Amino acid sequence: MMNSRERVRLALEHQEPDCVPLDLGASTVTGIHVDTLYRLRQALDLDAPGTPVKLIEPFQMLGEVQPDLINALAIDTVRVGGTGTAFGFPLEGWKEWKTFAGTPVLVPGGFNTRAEPNGDLLLYPQGDRSAPASGRMPQGGFYFDVIVRQQPFKDEDLRVEDNLEEFSIFSDQEIEHYRRRAEELYTQTDKALVLNLGALSLGNISRVPGPGLKCPRGIRDVEEWYISLSTRRAHIYKIFERQAEINMVNLQRIHAAVGNRVAVAYLTGTDFGAQNGPFVSPQTYRNLFMPFHKQVNDWVHRNTTWKTFIHSCGSVWALLDDFIAAGFDILNPVQCSAAHMNPFDLKGKFGNRISFWGGGVDTQCTLPFGSPQEVCQEVRERIRAFGPGGGFVFNAVHNIQALVPVENVLAMYRTAREYGGYPLRLGSAA
Amino acid sequence: MTQFEELQQAIIDGKAPVSKALTEKMLKEGIRPGEFFPKAIIPAMDEVGRRMRECEFFIPEVLIAARAARASSDILRPLLVGDEAISSAGTVVCGTVKGDLHDIGKNIVAMMLESAGFKIVDLGVDVSAEKVVDAVRQHQANLVAMSALLTTTMVNMKSVVEALAAAGLRDKVKIMVGGAPVTDAWAHSIGADGYGKDAPAAVELARQLSAA
Repeated sequence: MMNSRERVRLALEHQEPDCVPLDLGASTVTGIHVDTLYRLRQALDLDAPGTPVKLIEPFQMLGEVQPDLINALAIDTVRVGGTGTAFGFPLEGWKEWKTFAGTPVLVPGGFNTRAEPNGDLLLYPQGDRSAPASGRMPQGGFYFDVIVRQQPFKDEDLRVEDNLEEFSIFSDQEIEHYRRRAEELYTQTDKALVLNLGALSLGNISRVPGPGLKCPRGIRDVEEWYISLSTRRAHIYKIFERQAEINMVNLQRIHAAVGNRVAVAYLTGTDFGAQNGPFVSPQTYRNLFMPFHKQVNDWVHRNTTWKTFIHSCGSVWALLDDFIAAGFDILNPVQCSAAHMNPFDLKGKFGNRISFWGGGVDTQCTLPFGSPQEVCQEVRERIRAFGPGGGFVFNAVHNIQALVPVENVLAMYRTAREYGGYPLRLGSAA
Repeated sequence: MTQFEELQQAIIDGKAPVSKALTEKMLKEGIRPGEFFPKAIIPAMDEVGRRMRECEFFIPEVLIAARAARASSDILRPLLVGDEAISSAGTVVCGTVKGDLHDIGKNIVAMMLESAGFKIVDLGVDVSAEKVVDAVRQHQANLVAMSALLTTTMVNMKSVVEALAAAGLRDKVKIMVGGAPVTDAWAHSIGADGYGKDAPAAVELARQLSAA
């Protein structure tokens, strides 16, 4: 039997391994919400009741997928992440906390909240309660949304560096962290390593408001940012140009530290698709984003064996030729419920040129609201669509959210293993 | 090109300073405030909707056009008097449901509805069912438009439908829903009257429901 690393490698080379590789938690866009993670671990008898799960991403409230869960579900991938969070506090100094659903969680020391009179929870940049709050979880909610703290500005006063405050050359300690983590996972597991660099994304709308900054300057309002992609194009281009220079230095230093132990680099999480079509025109993508995406992909392909991973929700059919031309090897999350994202059509038109990572089951309807039988049915259908010829790593469409029934999560992975063996049984999924 | 056509073009092109200046100039020349909506703003935003549906316009272009429309309508609304002040299209109470803080989509729908001549009562985000009921009563709304981005909050749309029924208002308002995870089937399953898959569709739906 093939090991996980080889399985993922072959799949991403567009060859059929022994079975479709599975991912859970190797990135912050293929992970699982802490509430659901807790219930999953309990259902699998991995923990005594009341044992907390660890929060590794406080914006989407994602939990750490540990080796015992990876083994229990026969997952083939593992995450290599940094030391920080979107809210600017580090992943250290763990303390106990409970979600609104009552899930026991270990959160970083900088995860400092304050309750509002209406019960909402506020979260603070760099954990500093004396700064204006940058995150809000509504009372009874499951996620922290970013609070927009736009300072008034005049166009003539806008400076490129104002929107770059959160991007800097990684410290030696950060690089050493990546090196140590990659070495540990490479030597102690047979899993494919996924390097998480989504924080380097150009214009990721969840990061534009600067949730990790105490006093963000520049263009920080979501609507103003989208408008600026058209009205202040030259300014945005300069921001991206400078950010891309910083990213390139970071990438080179990380590569020098982790080498080719890493299989996949998750490079951008900026959403280019809405439910019914792209957020921005293909022309805007080509003018504003693509030159920098191409630059980084070209460098990776010239200097490493990494496969590059782009995450973009929504309907991106109209942009896929451009993503491929920009050099991306992998598309995630493959949101088949969006317009023009039929799995068979995607595979037919683009399957030889890009790998699909995700798309395994719908996150907006089937996984949260369907029965285990419906989950099973859809997973089989997606394997039939994306599996032939390799080029497919199985994961749900995006993170497994809160309130998803554990039986559905288990049905998803069980079915993927059962029906993901090559040669695929391609008869009707019915 | 007539002045109304010029104003239409300024809105479609997203030139807010131009639409503002033109509106002021035309008012000075004696054009009645009520004429602007049917002759410039509504047709301009219909064209924006068409371009969005046909993938000629994307989110930035729609937002810019909506701002240009608002630059004009903000001047006009306080000047509307008598019959002109009563929205012929209808009054819409809109908001993002309880527990959900996402409002880009809701804001675009609200702006497009406003430009289509509806009076908008925007309750913002994280809106409880009770707040919707109160607003419907206070503003005598004939439409409720609810948005949700999350699978964890879309269930709260059902609470809005139930609260309106419990308050005896269900037959006085039509309820429309939208947002990324929402579907036509979902809308029907919770007893809503319709689903708008995007902003232009929401405007079309609001027109149909208002006329029904």
